[in-house]
Amino acid sequence: MTSPIEIEGAEASTEVDEQTPQKGSDAPEKLEGRSPGQLMWRRFKRDRTGVVSAYVVLFFFLIAALAPLISKLYGKNPYTLYGQDDPLLLNDFNMPAGPNGGITSEYWFGIEPTLGRDVFTQLLYGMRTSLYTALAATVAMVFMGVLIGLFGGYFGGKVDYWLGRLTDFLLAFPQQLFMIASMPVITAVFVAPDEETPTYIHALAIIGVLWFLGWMGLARLIRAVTLSLREREFVEAAKVAGASPWRIIRKELLPNLVTPILVQGTYMLPSTILSVAFLSFVGVGYTEPTPDWGRMFAIGSDIYEQDPVYMFFPGVAMVIFVVAFNLLGDSVRDAFDPKTGR
Amino acid sequence: MSIISSSRARTAVVAVAAGALALAGCSSSDSGNGKDKSKSKKEAAAQSAAVTMGTAADSTGPAEEVPGAKPGGTIQVYEEDDFSHLDPGQIYVSDAGLLSKLIFRGLTTYKEDDKGALTVVGDLATDPGKMSDGGKTWTYTLKDGIKDETGHVIDSADVRHTFERLYDPFITDGPSYIQQWMSGSGTTYRKAYAGPFKGGKHLPDSVLATPDDKTVVFHFKVAQPDLPQALAMAGYSVVPEKTDTKAKYDTKPVALGPYKVSEFKAGKSVKLVKNTNWDAKSDAMRHQYVDGFNIDINHDDEDQTKTILADRGDAKNAIMMTGQVATTQVQKVVSNAAAMKRTIQGYAPYVWQMNFNMDRIKDKKIRDAITYAMPSTAMYKTDGGAYGGEVANSLMSPTTPGYQKNYDPFDRSKKPNGDIEKAKKLIDEAGAKGMKIVYAYANVPVRQQQAVLVENALTKIGLDVQKKEIDAATWYEQVGKVKNGFDIYMTGWGQDWSSASTVFPPLYDGTQIQDGASNYAHINDDHVNSEIQRILKITDTAEATKAWTALNQYISEKVNPASPIYYTKTFQIAGTNVGGLRYSTVTSYTDPTRVFLKS
Amino acid sequence: MLRFILRRTFGAVLILLLISAFTFFMYYAIPQDPATLACGKNCTPDALAIIHKNLGLDDPIPVQYWKFLSGLFAGRDFAVGHCPAPCFGVSFRDQQMVWDTIMDRFPLTLSLTIGGLLVFLIVGLGTGLIAARYRGTWLDKTFSSISLVLSSMQIYFLGPVVLGIFVYSTGWLDKPKYVPFSENPAQWFMGLLIPWIVMSVIFTANYTRMSRSTMIEQLQEEHVRAARAKGMTGRYVFFRYAWRGSLIPILTILGMDLSALLGGAVVTEFTFGLAGIGRLAVDSVVGKDLPKLMGVMLFSAAFILLLNVIVDALYAVIDPRVRLS
Repeated sequence: MTSPIEIEGAEASTEVDEQTPQKGSDAPEKLEGRSPGQLMWRRFKRDRTGVVSAYVVLFFFLIAALAPLISKLYGKNPYTLYGQDDPLLLNDFNMPAGPNGGITSEYWFGIEPTLGRDVFTQLLYGMRTSLYTALAATVAMVFMGVLIGLFGGYFGGKVDYWLGRLTDFLLAFPQQLFMIASMPVITAVFVAPDEETPTYIHALAIIGVLWFLGWMGLARLIRAVTLSLREREFVEAAKVAGASPWRIIRKELLPNLVTPILVQGTYMLPSTILSVAFLSFVGVGYTEPTPDWGRMFAIGSDIYEQDPVYMFFPGVAMVIFVVAFNLLGDSVRDAFDPKTGR
Repeated sequence: MSIISSSRARTAVVAVAAGALALAGCSSSDSGNGKDKSKSKKEAAAQSAAVTMGTAADSTGPAEEVPGAKPGGTIQVYEEDDFSHLDPGQIYVSDAGLLSKLIFRGLTTYKEDDKGALTVVGDLATDPGKMSDGGKTWTYTLKDGIKDETGHVIDSADVRHTFERLYDPFITDGPSYIQQWMSGSGTTYRKAYAGPFKGGKHLPDSVLATPDDKTVVFHFKVAQPDLPQALAMAGYSVVPEKTDTKAKYDTKPVALGPYKVSEFKAGKSVKLVKNTNWDAKSDAMRHQYVDGFNIDINHDDEDQTKTILADRGDAKNAIMMTGQVATTQVQKVVSNAAAMKRTIQGYAPYVWQMNFNMDRIKDKKIRDAITYAMPSTAMYKTDGGAYGGEVANSLMSPTTPGYQKNYDPFDRSKKPNGDIEKAKKLIDEAGAKGMKIVYAYANVPVRQQQAVLVENALTKIGLDVQKKEIDAATWYEQVGKVKNGFDIYMTGWGQDWSSASTVFPPLYDGTQIQDGASNYAHINDDHVNSEIQRILKITDTAEATKAWTALNQYISEKVNPASPIYYTKTFQIAGTNVGGLRYSTVTSYTDPTRVFLKS
Repeated sequence: MLRFILRRTFGAVLILLLISAFTFFMYYAIPQDPATLACGKNCTPDALAIIHKNLGLDDPIPVQYWKFLSGLFAGRDFAVGHCPAPCFGVSFRDQQMVWDTIMDRFPLTLSLTIGGLLVFLIVGLGTGLIAARYRGTWLDKTFSSISLVLSSMQIYFLGPVVLGIFVYSTGWLDKPKYVPFSENPAQWFMGLLIPWIVMSVIFTANYTRMSRSTMIEQLQEEHVRAARAKGMTGRYVFFRYAWRGSLIPILTILGMDLSALLGGAVVTEFTFGLAGIGRLAVDSVVGKDLPKLMGVMLFSAAFILLLNVIVDALYAVIDPRVRLS
């Protein structure tokens, strides 16, 4: 199974190597003796925007992964209430006392209003939380979507009918409302009443809720594409040649589905990050003190007049990340599909 | 801004008795430079003397004109939450309580002077009541020719019906003081009488008598010196018998006050227009300057503050009812001298306190340690900012008679943000290092932030804090359970009228411990229990006040069931075109009965 | 056509029934007691018992569900009066018929979603088309980059900022407010302008991207190339062949975004202090108001289903090969 996330950077080429039987239009280029995967990689490398975005995205994931190390070197953590221990950091109104949101050589991105934590480490860890959660949720959604879509599309008939009704049923659910209503249920079921809800339960609940109502879009798309592919000559040929359904799905259908999966996947990940932020915003996502990118965003929009700097860093980071990810998605797509070549 | 935080106000009012008639400190718009915070405290202390009883002359209308007042125009109101009820019998909380000032009238009401001092006067009655039989019997005579919005003249049958309908099962949300005084404590009063709707039976004359059209007589088993103040609660406003529609009344009440409800859309908007049957000459405290009120729901504090501050269009004519200047906007308002001129400030009656579950934390040393460690300053600043509260030095509110400013059992004046060293020592002495403490909090942004502060402080003194977030809507239900499973939890409480008798019995009477009762700390101390019973029987207000003060000291020093954290304050802003702006010590918000539009 | 409508209606009713059961039993999956919210200061078990009876909570849960269902088809009687079918019941909180409340709120949400939908479809598809037509030029790059930056925005971030700039600081526009279309179309339009724009921003970006890429794809397809080879003009091919083809995948995405659109309406209503279905929904969750929750869930689901049917019908309009059956 191919998931879009593994495409960022170097693994991409190995990932797609197995798609040897590409569409017929690739055939002439085979004369040069390169696999489509290699071709794609070459095309991708020539695309400057794509390479730069790939680096940016990689950089974000690296930062998220290395957050503990970075904060150790930097000498602060996202949990200590520096502003409470040192009364000079916050003014009477609980805003950073220093200019520019309290940016100093000690607090690189300033001080958080009210509680007085360090914004730099908050952002590092917040991105870590959001990226990990969104990544896990997206992988789960893509997996589910592809699975349901492929099955429905390829087998048709009864299977397709019932999978289609299931999809319809879940699509009709008012998604955001359901999330708000169901999150307390999940935590109530899994946590003992006199114990703090562990962060991983929050994470699992968020991933679960996003997954449950997040895969139908992709499933429908995949089904539609599969339906049209099923009638294509090369699938018919494979069938006539006696290939097993599993082989047809794996060798004939999946490679041709990579493009829509990738495009949708790269669109889903940033939007999943925003959904995680939405959950925090309405108060059913991560709770204090787990650092959370989305919560920083929400607080920032409340106080953007008083402390614009607090909004600035999480905001800019979010914009850069989403833009880079989308650009990367476009580039990967262009690289995969020679028809839309430069 | 946040969606769930909209329940913040609601959490506060569910059991916090927001309906409170507070004798609060006041600083009206003209004294509101706001820098001098201690000033309001001084005033509050001065006024927490008892309420004055008015005379028959005080009880006649019309109310004294507001200087410069002009008729006409419509006031715009922005509110965050829906009015929970419009049926007076169901009104206990501040939002509907404010509205009731405009549309309902009871037997008594408060008259307020410029300094915020209160006088109880007759509203529908000619005076605040004639006491006899040592306070066991109270007699009221109705004023002549007071009409409701339909033109019906209010008589004693209507007053009797008002009290009788409170026994019907559909009334669940309002105050129950007078019912309990008449027919038995707790919910036993409901067994004594089933209400007027089934079989048309009335309360016996030995409890509530109406000898003629104009006279109502209350008979109690024990003396009830506070009856005139209890009658002034919104929950005891008169409901005319003929037009009582029971459950439906909650959306379509009949007005006696200067305004009536012309349109009510649940969760969306309420429109008030003039009640033409209201007669200024019969009313000692209300005015009818503006033509009406447009109340628009679903605007949170952030939204309200920004809109009114920007002062454009309708917002020029806007006032806040239960809204507050948003925490994040306080700095902007305070640093703007012109805007400060249209703000009001004063004490709200609530004391936020960290309750200790005394069934679980039995060692007083640990309770003291936690009390000393509480970061009060930081905590109130998260809830309304520098103008939203004040460090609490005692479990009594500055608005309650008997409050002592200098009483400071936990060194809050010297260490307002907690004394970690001392707390640590106490924990070591108690040998409680590493003890697990389950801290429950309502899951809204403000409480989440406070939880971080509490956890930070308690971790420093060597406790293992387990934070437990609780759905905000059921917060008081969950901590109100006897076996709630939590160690510490913060609740707020405010007086119902200016007497500690509406604070101490509900919070600290050990005989009342049961699911849903408000003795959240489960304190059950023989001395406290017997003192409460003794003081409740004292008819002399000054003596009773003294006794409450002494009991307060005993509770904090000898038992310490709860750590005082902070007092809440009101900080509201209005549009530039609004005149007559004044903080009301009765409702602890802007007084809606005297506002007018300048142009 | 008739068969199509009948089948879809039947399917919709089935889905709605499932959703109602799902919501109802999920509501009771957490140990929560809605009665406590109506219980006042001295909430003793006795007082709670009275409220349970008033709200009809003393019946077993399946019986309550059965009563709800029968009310939906046959109407029910409550303390506040008779509730005709389709009866969602009476709110636990405000004693109003849920159906009336929904009918009162729905016009706003309808205006919001349909208006937002039109804005992002027109702007999104428009810019996407232009970007595809002038692929690789500065125009393409500008549109693509703007749409990318905007797609990383959130309603609850963009909303306050737009309000801050255009309403609070400069006063160029009035604070968003809902005036019924039937009352004053001009005010209706001006009052919802900011919400429409803010709400559509996050969707627009996606549609710009989609329409650009599918358009480019279509222009490479054989039948489009063939048309061009036959000598048809660029513009004719562009709109007659390529655009039509590119609408199919866009419609598919749209069909799936409908529920997100309603979600967008929730946040939009909160951001701008408007009282629509979204606000009602959140209030009902926060206030544990089961009848309202059921009403809103079913009503929103029905709305989504209806829009879905319209989208499916549009397939047939765009692509003659698709038959409605």
